[in-house]
Amino acid sequence: MPSDTPMQNGGTATGANPADELQARSKSPAFTPVPRVKAGADGRSGVLPGTPHAKEPDPELGHDIIDQRRYTSPEFMRLEWERLWTKVWLVAGRALDMPDPGDYIATEVGAESIMAVRQADGGVRAFYNVCQHRGNRLRPCGRGSAGTSQSFKCLYHHWEYNLDGSYRRIPDVDTFVQGAPPHGLTEIKCEVWGSFVWFSMNPQAPPLADYLAPMQQHLDPYHFERMVQTRDITVEWDCNWKASVDAFNESYHVQGIHPQLLWYLHDLDIQIDCYERHNRYLIPFGTLSPRVRKPNTIPDSIKSIMKAAGMDTVDYDEPIANIRRDVQKHKRATGAQLGKDYSELNDDQLTDDYHYTIFPNLSLNLHADDFWVFRQRPHATDPNKMFYDIWTYELVPQGQEWPKRAKHQTWKHGEKSIGLVLDQDAANLPNVQAGMHSRGFRGLWLGRQELRIRHFHKVIDDYLFGSGAVASGTPSGTPSGADRDDWKTRGGT
Amino acid sequence: MDLGLRGRKAIVTGATKGIGRGVVELLVAEGADVAFCARTADEVADAVAAIKRPDVNVFGEAVNVRDGEAYKAWLVRAVTALGGCDIFIPGVSGGAAMDSEKNWVRNFEIDMLHTVRGCEALMPHLEKSGSGSIVIIGSTNAVETFAAPMAYNAIKAGLITYAKQLSQFVGKKSVRVNAVSPGPIYFEGGAWEMIKGTQPKFYDWAIKQVPSGKLGTVEEIARVIVFIASPAASLITGANVVADNGFTKRVQL
Repeated sequence: MPSDTPMQNGGTATGANPADELQARSKSPAFTPVPRVKAGADGRSGVLPGTPHAKEPDPELGHDIIDQRRYTSPEFMRLEWERLWTKVWLVAGRALDMPDPGDYIATEVGAESIMAVRQADGGVRAFYNVCQHRGNRLRPCGRGSAGTSQSFKCLYHHWEYNLDGSYRRIPDVDTFVQGAPPHGLTEIKCEVWGSFVWFSMNPQAPPLADYLAPMQQHLDPYHFERMVQTRDITVEWDCNWKASVDAFNESYHVQGIHPQLLWYLHDLDIQIDCYERHNRYLIPFGTLSPRVRKPNTIPDSIKSIMKAAGMDTVDYDEPIANIRRDVQKHKRATGAQLGKDYSELNDDQLTDDYHYTIFPNLSLNLHADDFWVFRQRPHATDPNKMFYDIWTYELVPQGQEWPKRAKHQTWKHGEKSIGLVLDQDAANLPNVQAGMHSRGFRGLWLGRQELRIRHFHKVIDDYLFGSGAVASGTPSGTPSGADRDDWKTRGGT
Repeated sequence: MDLGLRGRKAIVTGATKGIGRGVVELLVAEGADVAFCARTADEVADAVAAIKRPDVNVFGEAVNVRDGEAYKAWLVRAVTALGGCDIFIPGVSGGAAMDSEKNWVRNFEIDMLHTVRGCEALMPHLEKSGSGSIVIIGSTNAVETFAAPMAYNAIKAGLITYAKQLSQFVGKKSVRVNAVSPGPIYFEGGAWEMIKGTQPKFYDWAIKQVPSGKLGTVEEIARVIVFIASPAASLITGANVVADNGFTKRVQL
């Protein structure tokens, strides 16, 4: 046997068929489907079409292993940079955080830093965050304002730029016999949607609306612009950015690392929908997993859903299985008087987690009264590291004063808690990343519950290696039909 | 040792699951006739089907013990079904929680009032028994500070006080009254199973409080309750029997 061929576990020595024994020990539990809204009876009263809730047919994506080296290879990372990160639309930050001319957000992705700037005319433009003179970063990462001078001055030789990127002042300009560089700050594509500022480094990028479709119809009913930011945290994580996206793209791990959530949500009755490049799943909240026995009291976490809705938890006498529907009814009946307009949301959206992945790097947990965004950013040089941004938002009831947004915090893996559930995810991921390097592991072996992961990697492949599957917005310059295995021979782990 | 339970007639509230279910099963195994109730009709029907034996009388019906009139009417039907009552074990509890002031009303109306109403309604039958016995379910939460100042803890203390004073009041009629205070009891579908899953640190803390490292089981606590209820415990009345495997630390003098 060649020395690099791992020994395979040969099964058990008992007489019974090991495969049958495995089935008997491991089969997923049977369950009664959770009631879901139906077309024409979804509780909405709004005039807009609402978030589609019908199940999409699952794409045929096969059952192949997802190669482990996609998470570890510098060559694969380079391809991602050239053909994905610099081609797609990405979120820079929140448009609401830069209301006035001169307000800006600087954000990093990989080795690049981008500045989105509110213009005098109210529009937003984006530039590479770099002085054209000697390459100095104009502004550190974060939010800020150009101040009363309404200009960005480089702190090296004081080259100064207007909000639109044009030069305002170049000290001793007469000493540059060749004149100033031709364009001022290097501008990139920039648009606003859903209260967020988006940018693309791809000059041929399709319009943002085409890239996002059909997310607008799905997400507009939540009215992100009515929500204030309650957490703004960046954590450097010791894993590839895709390991993090994967972690939020399936509910299969709930029984593994979030056992407490089994008394909070249904981890098996999950509706998965894959769209062209984005995908989602719908997780019923406020109900029990079929993996746990019905307790004799309402679990505290489900009580918290009821309390948040203003329901009595002490004398609630219905079976636990009815709570989800009763919370929906209660919120529907009381929302308006609390200043919460749920008219565009269907009944399921009043309790459930509508979870979207906007390709490539946004994971969104959407609820009627709040939403969470996880933005996963690649490291500049190391495929084993990434930046994990946690942005959480809460609905501000109509008529209430808009609270101050949360301050930005940043730290490294494990230095501080980000809440029990996310701590459980965070604790797990460095071990996943370590295992990706193992000679005893070939790649991801995905089940039906992990269809979104397979879809995510399929879309990555579309960008990296070309495919007719991405009809609109296929990045130009992508080598159609390129050898999908070529990168493996040109770089190692 | 014969507990003397064969042919005795026992009424137990809240007995489709957990400790109450264990008590009923043990009583039946000892040959006692049993009437029990719980909230949910199909669960009661399932429990009756599982528990009944040809040689004992098993009567089960759904009733909400918080509804005083319905509960008293059920007690009458239970006595009729059994042809009397020698043992009363009010097992229903409103549970331990601290959601709002309503928890106090709930624990008072369920834990306290259903116990008192049952004792008063059944006392004529227990007196007729000649060896009547009541076992009230207390809690270690009543005798030592536990977790949070919950209504459950304080009202369990009230029940233990009630048990002692009732025992003096009815002793001359040969009715014994005791409390049994379990420590944490682990069973499938019980509070501690959920705590283990949802609050693993708190669960580990509880385990560490028990010198042997084991939480009690339904079978273990049911044996204590059934013994105290039985004529074999004829010398014990007015006691609060703490059965917690060493969970509490106080010295009981």
